[in-house]
Amino acid sequence: MLIDSFRSALLLLFTLNHDMLVVVGCSLRVSSLSTLLAAVIGLPLAFIIAFTSFRGKRLTITCLNTLLALPTVVIGLVVYSFISRRSIFGSFELMYTQTAMIIGQIILIVPVVTTLTIAAINRIDKRYRMTALTLGANRLQMAWVIFKETRYGVIAAVIAAFGRVIAEIGISMMLGGNAKGFTRTMTTAMALEYDKGEFVFAVALGIVLMALAFAINLLFHLFQGRTGSDVI
Amino acid sequence: MLYELEEVTKVYKGRTVLDIPALSVQSEQIYSLIGPNGAGKTTLLNLLAFLDTPSSGVIRFCSRQVRYAEKLLLPMRRRVVLVDQYPILFTGSVWKNLDFGLKIRKIEKKKRKELIKEALELVGMQDFFAAEAHKLSGGETKRVALARALIVDPEVLLCDEPTANVDVENLEIILDILERINRDWKISIIFATHSLSQAQRLASHTLILKNGRLTNQAQENVFPVISCEDRGGLWVCTLQNDVRIRFTSEGLDMDSGRMHLYLDPERIVLRKKEMVGDPSFNFLSGRIIMTAAENERVRVRVNVGVPVTVFMTHADYKATLPMIGEDVHLHLDDKAVSIF
Repeated sequence: MLIDSFRSALLLLFTLNHDMLVVVGCSLRVSSLSTLLAAVIGLPLAFIIAFTSFRGKRLTITCLNTLLALPTVVIGLVVYSFISRRSIFGSFELMYTQTAMIIGQIILIVPVVTTLTIAAINRIDKRYRMTALTLGANRLQMAWVIFKETRYGVIAAVIAAFGRVIAEIGISMMLGGNAKGFTRTMTTAMALEYDKGEFVFAVALGIVLMALAFAINLLFHLFQGRTGSDVI
Repeated sequence: MLYELEEVTKVYKGRTVLDIPALSVQSEQIYSLIGPNGAGKTTLLNLLAFLDTPSSGVIRFCSRQVRYAEKLLLPMRRRVVLVDQYPILFTGSVWKNLDFGLKIRKIEKKKRKELIKEALELVGMQDFFAAEAHKLSGGETKRVALARALIVDPEVLLCDEPTANVDVENLEIILDILERINRDWKISIIFATHSLSQAQRLASHTLILKNGRLTNQAQENVFPVISCEDRGGLWVCTLQNDVRIRFTSEGLDMDSGRMHLYLDPERIVLRKKEMVGDPSFNFLSGRIIMTAAENERVRVRVNVGVPVTVFMTHADYKATLPMIGEDVHLHLDDKAVSIF
């Protein structure tokens, strides 16, 4: 049965099935936007935490590390309690929209981007920081130097975050509602097709998901090989 | 005055690594900072480069007290550059490295290119303009780091062991550059070194740091070695006036050029002649020529052929009561002797 499903799935892929393309498009759009916004929030946050001394810094990092293990259904529930019709932001009518999914996914991956970037900054030689400062850099310019020197670590953090959201299902299902053509992503579609016993479509989406993950990692390694010898 | 330090201390994890009651540094001079590893040389240089804050005390730079607010520090940092013992170059080309300091000072592109070429010529690295910085050798990296520091036209250049781990050719080039930029550009230089000969060659002033404290700024208890002889692990060094010092040391490099011997005044034990039981090992005989009370100790100078300073605690002093003109023995343990 699996081989038959696999063969039919490949046929769906090669014929560029419209339903499948809509689902893949929705997944990519939502995941890309949430990753981009999480990077906009998480990267500066990581640099601020890494470069400033404040009371409770260790506790903050420990909390962020704990948030890495946050179940998607918990995030779904929390966001639901804020955006459902009778809640505080209910008037914005965000429930079962891509925006709601993006909000939930941002909460999911901001800790991923932040903690992995902090780890990358901490791994880098402290002399980069000292050198930038003694050459007259202000804190922002110094952070930019460190950003450039840790770029592979930062890219890896963003890729890891993208990998986390494109493969998650809890948030998409609870906040998106799996509405066909609007909020149906690869993972929610796969779950639905599985429930219906339609394995062909599910396997086809599974192949796309794996291919995407492989392509992103391949691109990253090609880029790394061409521009430097840094290893993460 | 370029720098004035008052009661400056630096404490790391409960341990005082630097304790300088007072220090004045004049501008347009070359200062050498000598001391063994862990003496606090790098800590002091980091404080002078405004990259670290003292735990207590006051630092004045050009008569202005240093305030450690980021906005106030930046203009001061832009007048002082520190070159690390193991300088790190940013990823990218050599010219990108030199361009960094100029770019953040908003110097126009055409001018930047000219300055980069001049700076690379100064350190003899003009052929490395487009070279990948991380592929340079240790000596080349130091020269590029020096060019990167000098291109921003600092008033003060701080160098942490500028000649450590470089070959003889690069060493001469670096020392020559330091000499030239002080003479021609009037850049004040403070450099840390292990080499007393380098300090004597370049510096007009020498600061000796030991256990985080500045010892007498004159080169107290430092003597040129006339000859040294290996007697099966036991070294016998002859100083002027045929004064002989015996000590054990492994791997002493006799080909390192001019050598100096340093006697740690806190590790020398002064005994009256009649108190000595078995003066068979390392001792020097001499006559007391000076005694002086200092804060927590007594300084005693003994002429053993060369003037040797000994620090005694007040308790030791009261127990021994050394008198000027009295003949005494000085006992040295192995840790009292070090060779530069």
